[in-house]
Amino acid sequence: MDNSYDVIVIGAGNAGLISALKLVKENKKVLVLESNNVPGGFATSFIRGRFEFEASLHEMSGFGSSEKTGPIYKLFEKLEIVDKIKFINLTEAFHVYGKDKKEDYVMPFGIQAFIDKMNEYVPGSDKAMKKFFILAEEVQKALIFLENDRNVNSKILSEQFPNFMKVAALSTDKVFKALKMPKKAAEILSTYWVYLGSPTSTLSFVHFASMILSYIYLGAVIPEKRSHETSIILAEEITKNGGVIKYLSTVQEILFEEGKVSGVRLSDGKDFKSKHILFNGSPTFLYGKMIPKEFVPKEALKLTNSRILGARGFSIYLGLNQSPEDIGLNDYSYFIYHSLDSNTEFENMSSIKNNSSVAIVLNNKNPHCSPAGTTLMTITSVFFGDVFNNKVTEENYFELKNQIAENILNNFEETTGINIKSYIEEIEIASPVTYARYAGHPDGVIYGYKLTGLDNLLPRTLNMENENYVPNVRICGGFDVKGDGFSSTYLSGYQAAKLTLLDMKGEEEE
Amino acid sequence: MNDLKLEGLGKKEIVKFKNLKKEREKVIATTPLNDIKVEYNVNEIARFLHPKLQYVKVIDIINESKDVKTFLLAPNAEKGTKKLAYFKAGQYISVRIRIGKCLYKRPYTLSCSPKLALENRYTITIKRKEEGVVSNYFFDNISIGSSFVVSAPSGNFCYERIRDAKNVIAIAGGSGITPFISMAEAINDQLLNFNLTILYGAKTKKDLIFKERLDKLSSNEKIKIKYILSEEESDLYDTGFIEKENIDPYLKEETSFFICGPIELYQHMNEVLKEYNLAKKYIRTDLFFSEIDLKRKEDFNVKVITKDKEFNITCNGQETLLSAIEKNGILAPSSCHVGVCGLCRSKILSGKIKTFDSDMRASDKDLNYIHPCSSFPESDVVIKLPN
Repeated sequence: MDNSYDVIVIGAGNAGLISALKLVKENKKVLVLESNNVPGGFATSFIRGRFEFEASLHEMSGFGSSEKTGPIYKLFEKLEIVDKIKFINLTEAFHVYGKDKKEDYVMPFGIQAFIDKMNEYVPGSDKAMKKFFILAEEVQKALIFLENDRNVNSKILSEQFPNFMKVAALSTDKVFKALKMPKKAAEILSTYWVYLGSPTSTLSFVHFASMILSYIYLGAVIPEKRSHETSIILAEEITKNGGVIKYLSTVQEILFEEGKVSGVRLSDGKDFKSKHILFNGSPTFLYGKMIPKEFVPKEALKLTNSRILGARGFSIYLGLNQSPEDIGLNDYSYFIYHSLDSNTEFENMSSIKNNSSVAIVLNNKNPHCSPAGTTLMTITSVFFGDVFNNKVTEENYFELKNQIAENILNNFEETTGINIKSYIEEIEIASPVTYARYAGHPDGVIYGYKLTGLDNLLPRTLNMENENYVPNVRICGGFDVKGDGFSSTYLSGYQAAKLTLLDMKGEEEE
Repeated sequence: MNDLKLEGLGKKEIVKFKNLKKEREKVIATTPLNDIKVEYNVNEIARFLHPKLQYVKVIDIINESKDVKTFLLAPNAEKGTKKLAYFKAGQYISVRIRIGKCLYKRPYTLSCSPKLALENRYTITIKRKEEGVVSNYFFDNISIGSSFVVSAPSGNFCYERIRDAKNVIAIAGGSGITPFISMAEAINDQLLNFNLTILYGAKTKKDLIFKERLDKLSSNEKIKIKYILSEEESDLYDTGFIEKENIDPYLKEETSFFICGPIELYQHMNEVLKEYNLAKKYIRTDLFFSEIDLKRKEDFNVKVITKDKEFNITCNGQETLLSAIEKNGILAPSSCHVGVCGLCRSKILSGKIKTFDSDMRASDKDLNYIHPCSSFPESDVVIKLPN
């Protein structure tokens, strides 16, 4: 049997699937190797009783709609899958609670609506908010420009994006100050910070601003049949176009011949050959375990050692036996913070006692996602640092999970005044241990590396090419340049595929 | 756009931007050249709780009744298993037995306290079934010293303190007692904390297993046990089936029911519990299939496609696809055998099947995925396995 391929994709997560689909559409012979028995990585679903739970997606940004297409819409269009998946557009952006000051705010999508609502909550904030969105637009355009031309001294950059140049190296907090953003408005505006896993004092403004713009301008979507629908459609398309996906196949080692990448070895000893590898996983384990030491360049070790692991995930999946109306759950997304100041909140989340969370009530935008008279609810929390790692033991694991979940549930109830515990028909709890097992990520990280200081989006982007340390091994996914999130990882996969195509072209020319 | 006033920002910030690349390079260059940290407690616990396989050997066999035996298992260190994975009371392990060229997998509930796992021991309790290939093999061929492979513990038939009532009535039929002895021992070992009443139905006194252990456990104030015999009159025990009057004395304002036993027990309890008008969350069973009427008794041709090979086999209309696949010596992943765990998820490329399986993702259903462990052919079938 012919065991050689043009490209081997390791991991069928969002990025791995998108990259494989792009490559098969370019007529490359592609093999995707996946440890689990379903595609998608975190983009999956699972069943308990009469509920099909969404494993990870809260809302996908960057999609938009057929009238207002975002980068993900365009990407799905290019890959001819946009009509194959049914997406639902969300309407309300978020409902955020600050428990300590007993405050809560509901914010809409749409830039003008968002500014107007903010002005109701924080009178006089409209001027700074307008400036914020104008600046965000410039930032987003500049980022797109820089992705193709990473020359920071280019004339176009200074002529067309002068404000971007001034804010590009700054933290979100510093730019808020320059914009004279009222403190409360800055806090409400920062609500989504937790999705990037970095507080506004260390999170790069340009990354933050482009994310907010994408959410507020384009809105957000969810696939009707959970993110598994997107993953399974991607997998079907890969197969239809001649790609091969092997499930229950764990890659143990990257193989080299004469100093060059030559293939992979599975944990069962089977080998597959390819000169090109797309790796949808953590560089920590790629450089630390999978590539033989003699082939790991010093710089790769140093870079990896210089980085900080991002947020560790903790999720509670609830099947409730009443409808959202009957329970009093009227919103789609609830951000349950103690403090709306992201820096204070980040400190809270760096403790095992953290009980802040983001809760999603799927039925409020996807009414048929569970049987009539029931509710699908997911509550997600994160830990920063290795606090879970330090507390968990083999013996206390099940009880520790219950304690943390109870703490989060109680905090949700106390903050919102909504009782949910008495309606629980099904419960599943995912901890960093679950994520470590399912995705094979170090320490149960779900957000890749922490976006901070010189490991923010922009310095990553600017140094992208010279940090591709092992020739013909391209990294994609949540640990890649753009960080975590559905839209980031889809785009990361597409970019990695394009770079691999360039690598292959370069070879032909040699 | 240029009229955007950014107070206090100017040349210095632009220079900072232009230096980002260099600064990042500097950080990397000055980071010590150490090995990358690849060992994490969290990952190690993940491996400990969910090992791909566990090699075990039988170190004792206990005769529970004429057709029920308990096997005490220890890790088989020679094969590389040093520690047995911890579990939750009510979970099962999938046991792999090779008979001839066929690899059979069967789920057996762990019939011991989770505490025993921490002491590196498991017990499974097996009832000999007339046509059971694996149970007969256990009775006839497995002895002290035998070794085999089992899966990590899995399954969701467990008490969840956040979800379930503090008062639990467990209804056990025959060998369906196994998850409940595990739960009772977990309570006694202070690993779980709830009031458990076990209503244990069996045909005759001789069919009651674990009786001595259960009687001892019932000295714990949180544990009560009531035996109900259907085919033997006795002054010591209630007789008949488990009815409302057996349940009523133990009912509290909020009670969760856990039911485990043969299909007839579920059907009977379904009727009995109707009277209480309970919300679904208060009735938990370890099986989720509704009755299925299998009319087609003929054999069908089944083409089985795996990653590397294709096989042509036959499967009777009253036999699950997985059973036919196993019998023909084809390797297929599986674990729970009731359509819940999802491990055997396969795609039907052509043909018709009947399934008692409700635990299939919506988009998988659209694309003709099924669980062969709980599906029967209704025509010739082409099926693609996940492996």
